[in-house]
Amino acid sequence: MAQKEATVFVLDLGKSMGEKGHGRDKTNLDWVMEYVWDKITTTVATGRKTAMMSVVGFRTDETELHGFMDEIEGYSNITVLSGLKQFLLPDIRELQQQVAPSSTNQGDLLSALAVAVQIIDTGTQGKNGKPLKFDRRIIVVTDGRGHMDTGDLDAIASKITDDDARIELVVLGVDFDDPDYGYKEEDKSDRKQQNEATLQDFVEKCDGSFATLAVAIDQLEIPRIKDTRPTPSYKGTLTLGDAQKYEGTLTIDVERYPCTMIAKPPTASSFVVRSDLGGAPGPSTQSTATLAGDSIQDGQLSAVRNQRVYQVENPDEPGIKSNVEPDELERGYEYGRTAVHIAESDLNIVKLETEQCLELIGFVPEDKFERYLPLSRSNYIVPQKTNKQAQLALSSFIHALFEAGSYAVARLVTKDLKPPVMVLLVPRIEPDFEALIDVELPFEEDMRRYRFPPLDKKLTVSGKIITEHKDLPNTDLMSAMSAYVDALDLSTFGRDDDGEPTEYMKFDETYSPLLHRVNHVIRWRATNPLAATLPEPPKILTKYSMPPPDLVAQTAPHLSALKAAADVKKVPPKQKGRGKRSLRDREKPLSGLDVGELLGNPKRVKIELGNLIPSFKQALAATDDLEAIQAAADAMASAIRSLIAESVGESAYGRALEAIRVMRDEITELEEPEMYNKFARELKADLLGGKMKGDRREMWWRIRGSRYGLIDRKRSFASGVTEEEAAEFYKG
Amino acid sequence: MADPQDNRPGEEEDEEEEIDDSSYKTIKDAVLFAIDVSPTMLERPPLSDDKKADRDSPTTAALKCAYQLMQQRIISNPNDMMGILLFGTEKTDLKEGDSTFQHCYLLSDLDVPSAQDVKRLRDLVENEDEAEELLKPTKDGASIATVLFCANQIFTTKAPNFSSRRLFLVTDNDHPAKAKHDKDTAITRARDLYDLGCTIDLFPISRTDHGFDRSKFYDDLVYPSSPSDPDAPVTVTTATKIAKSGDGITLLKQLLSSINSKAAPRRALFSLPLEIGPGMRIGVKGYILIKRQEHVKSCYVWVGGEKAQIVTSSTSHMADDTARIVEKTELRKAYKFGGDTITFTPEEFVQIRQCFGEPIIRILGFKPVSLLPLWANTNKATFIYPSETDFIGSTRVFSALQQKLIKSKKMALAWFIARRNAAPVIVAVISGEEKLDDNGEQTMPPGLWLVPLPFADDIRQCPEQIDHLRTTEELTDVMRKVVEQLQLPKGVYDPEKYPNPDLQWFYRILQAMALEEEVPDMADDKTLPKYKQIDKRVAPFLEDFGQDFDAEYKLQVRNQPSMSLPTGRKRPAASANEETDSKPAKRAKVKKEVKAEDGDEDEGGMTDQQMAEVNNKGNISKQVVATLKDFLKARGLPTTGKKVDLVGRVQEYLEEKGL
Repeated sequence: MAQKEATVFVLDLGKSMGEKGHGRDKTNLDWVMEYVWDKITTTVATGRKTAMMSVVGFRTDETELHGFMDEIEGYSNITVLSGLKQFLLPDIRELQQQVAPSSTNQGDLLSALAVAVQIIDTGTQGKNGKPLKFDRRIIVVTDGRGHMDTGDLDAIASKITDDDARIELVVLGVDFDDPDYGYKEEDKSDRKQQNEATLQDFVEKCDGSFATLAVAIDQLEIPRIKDTRPTPSYKGTLTLGDAQKYEGTLTIDVERYPCTMIAKPPTASSFVVRSDLGGAPGPSTQSTATLAGDSIQDGQLSAVRNQRVYQVENPDEPGIKSNVEPDELERGYEYGRTAVHIAESDLNIVKLETEQCLELIGFVPEDKFERYLPLSRSNYIVPQKTNKQAQLALSSFIHALFEAGSYAVARLVTKDLKPPVMVLLVPRIEPDFEALIDVELPFEEDMRRYRFPPLDKKLTVSGKIITEHKDLPNTDLMSAMSAYVDALDLSTFGRDDDGEPTEYMKFDETYSPLLHRVNHVIRWRATNPLAATLPEPPKILTKYSMPPPDLVAQTAPHLSALKAAADVKKVPPKQKGRGKRSLRDREKPLSGLDVGELLGNPKRVKIELGNLIPSFKQALAATDDLEAIQAAADAMASAIRSLIAESVGESAYGRALEAIRVMRDEITELEEPEMYNKFARELKADLLGGKMKGDRREMWWRIRGSRYGLIDRKRSFASGVTEEEAAEFYKG
Repeated sequence: MADPQDNRPGEEEDEEEEIDDSSYKTIKDAVLFAIDVSPTMLERPPLSDDKKADRDSPTTAALKCAYQLMQQRIISNPNDMMGILLFGTEKTDLKEGDSTFQHCYLLSDLDVPSAQDVKRLRDLVENEDEAEELLKPTKDGASIATVLFCANQIFTTKAPNFSSRRLFLVTDNDHPAKAKHDKDTAITRARDLYDLGCTIDLFPISRTDHGFDRSKFYDDLVYPSSPSDPDAPVTVTTATKIAKSGDGITLLKQLLSSINSKAAPRRALFSLPLEIGPGMRIGVKGYILIKRQEHVKSCYVWVGGEKAQIVTSSTSHMADDTARIVEKTELRKAYKFGGDTITFTPEEFVQIRQCFGEPIIRILGFKPVSLLPLWANTNKATFIYPSETDFIGSTRVFSALQQKLIKSKKMALAWFIARRNAAPVIVAVISGEEKLDDNGEQTMPPGLWLVPLPFADDIRQCPEQIDHLRTTEELTDVMRKVVEQLQLPKGVYDPEKYPNPDLQWFYRILQAMALEEEVPDMADDKTLPKYKQIDKRVAPFLEDFGQDFDAEYKLQVRNQPSMSLPTGRKRPAASANEETDSKPAKRAKVKKEVKAEDGDEDEGGMTDQQMAEVNNKGNISKQVVATLKDFLKARGLPTTGKKVDLVGRVQEYLEEKGL
């Protein structure tokens, strides 16, 4: 569990915050809030009950302390906007209403700070008044232009630095001078100058941080990386040899922790718009109107539950299914299409009996290992905690592997009865730690043995080797490629802090684009519920989607040489116009034989029910005549209809579906979409209208599920059906 | 059997599914094995004393292959279909009483194999009498045209709408036609099969006195591309070599190897542009060549009937508040946030995922392969191979790139979006060289591999190592001998040698249970280390290591300064510290918390002594919960429950310690 947190934001809401400073297009307050909202929404997104926040405004029109101070005197124009609590979405909404520049410049920052300290104090102490374990923080944002009464400064400072309840103080100022950041505001008013000095002095006393706001805004762009506490996935021994049976063996106590683990973006869940809110009072009057506009207000979605129906096929009547009750179901497995029932008590029988272990099998030289083999994320294997012997032993093993230039292959069973996996153990020696890295290796069954022709030579059918061919690079292309690859080198393209060449794009400089994109828009939407367009992803997320522009410019000559040598041609998109295909253009067998000619190039091919799809394709290929095509389509249509109508249960649906698919594809290619669309419309009507000898709705579900609906304009330019119409067709 | 739930309006979809290989998997495959039964196919090789020599007739070898393939496919493609058709048999039987197709005998119908199918095939392979009964060749010989049309009918009715339908034809007859007419009919029937979208995979067998010549007949029947992957180059299976007695490569082995390479239909996972530089793209296709094979998940079976039956389920959605059935179109996706939901319109969801541009593999630059450490692995690699479909000249450019990367030991880094909606990743593009086995058959194809790399967010820290003992050069040297003594054969890890013991065991048991046979009690686990060999090769070195280790350990422990405690807090009473070796170390354990943001560290709490004092003074219940929890946690005790429980637990602990 992460440490409990209490954070108080002290917001300057004075009239001057409504101004737009130094050519910015937003008010100072909006600018400041960019930072504050980011902090708040990030905390809300964690969903942690123990991360509490509070917001205090000063230089407000009103004064409202909600009883945090005994007396109001000296605290005028200060408003506690929210007490210390876990923030939820409604709290954000409420706060949004309240955050606006006031019409006054009265109100003291330091008094507000005193209130903030008091809020933390009362909110983080136990029943007996003793401070609890908390991370306490106060974040002050201000333009530094209000009046400050510096009388109590020392008292507040001592409170903040109190050892039992230390508070981290952060002060961020709009256009404050910041030599570290390199910013100095010209024409600064004397008061602001003085305030800045006072605040800086004070923050130093409190051991806090003091910066100009721009620094904080800049840093918002850099994604935050979630720290995860390491949890071991294996605690046991690393062994070599069987210590039970033999003398000379090795046993080291080790633990295994994740080294890489893909951080997944949050997932969206399914909801449904609540139906009971129709006439309900409250905000719904306004929001039912907006519902149509596809924006849904908070609290109007209801969770969705899944309900399952179980069915079995009737063995006597193929294609007919009947529902079965859940209490007649038991666990089992499928062996091919045979159901194997295994009683609950016997479920362990299919498990291989294994004991927890990490056993060395042998070693392989690192230069012979194929880097593409590992198929998992990686883990650290480190000595058992506090076990000095394990530290020394594992250290010598790691170094031995390293010096021998070898990797180890081992068998890992993470817990008793878990399936064994083969892992590769790789030494990793860093300045501050040593570990073995493990990655999983494939078993025999994990390899797919597809074969591909060689890339550096061609083999003829007769087995002769050819070295010059259009698919093989000539020497020009080889040397152009070589020069280009060498020029576009990233290993020294980066610059370190001292400007020295270093590796460009190290692992820790790349951030998961989708993860941070999703988090970013969720936080953004939380504070911008009504904005129409989504913001662009932060630049840092797309930085590595392109080669570095400077390097591209540098290597341009190499690239154009490569282009010239490669002579790659894009295949033009399909020619428009009626597809003119004939038997002659179609694919030929290996021998190159013209099958059409063999058949005497018939003008008309009859559609045969027993050879439906081939004869349909051949009929279309044989002719250019629209009438003949129509005749073939009609014959196909009636064949499909009879397949469905004569089907026992669902038994012929698959065949019908295949015929529909082929018809749709072929007709699309011939660019006569209406031929198919007419058929599809009639078929739908008849299926749903019960005109195909019985309840054939299931067939419609399948057509719909396979997306074999109308051919729209996107699919075929000759179609009169819009995409909307095509989508509409699937409904009902 | 098309899964009827595939396209139902509401398949289960609780969470936004990352579309990975799932779409790849749902493409179904049907294989029909057609095996020639002719006098020459039934001829057994001459008897030989050599144990490794061929014993099987070509037909038997083909049946054995089919048997093995069937078992293998139950494991690797549990939803795919398989059937076995014998042709040229005296008997004619196509199950459903159909005798149109003379001399075709359907041994097992095209379907997802059942346990009975496996048994039937096994009996045929193992029981010679039964085999002899069935494997009687007709005098007339079978017509290939009939076989092809028979396959056409079987595919049409049993595997409709399958994207991959393949006829595996095993024969030694390279010219099965008496007259020109026979050949023409066969060509027409082959064309029909092609138009139906089925592939013919020919597995030719050479006879001792007669090599198989494809060009005589079959090159007019077989097409150069497969309809399921029209663009992928087809590798033509070469005719088996004539097995000379004693050369170790049996017909069965050759056939198995050819068939294994076609066991799963090759299908591209994606087809994408590979951008080598701005304005320079070539076409590539991606394939999954390495993927963890899992066994089937348990399912529900219905036990209400005579036989256990597999249950299919479908899901409908219900609104939680009103229990109203909800159509899929009504469902809205939303993120949970701050106790409420954050919604986006479907269009916005698309925008969020697709704001990073079109699917592509875009090379960003090159680095030496040495900058790709193994710890940076996050997932399996994807194989890519050039395709000429969209860019003519892709193959030669790809080849030049692959050869350059091999030669200079470099890799490319690339921005990779596999398909619309897929999360962008950074990949290392590394080269893979073609590998051949001893017979010249390919074991690894030539191409490039995309190795996904971790982002900063995906990298975890190694647990801190403070004051860890480190090895010495001497100690390392002794251990190094062990490493050098125990190399794997040829110095490589060969997956072929390690069948997954868990998977094999699972299916052995399942098969035995399905056939109601005795369940074996011992698993054959090839992943177990060879202990005897290890003992023989490295035991002496390990004993040396043991001695040196003990000496070094004593030395280091003596010299190591006592645990340095974090500064900023008084050291507890020294006596407490020296009690045992492990105690101060254990304190270090507690300290490794996730770093608190302000760096204000907590020091593991009080010692036993201190706590005992507090307890003796009766002040224990005045301690704050945090202190108690720290104390308990440092001692590995549970920290749950109310304060009273915590106090109780602390006192219990102290009592046990006698304090």
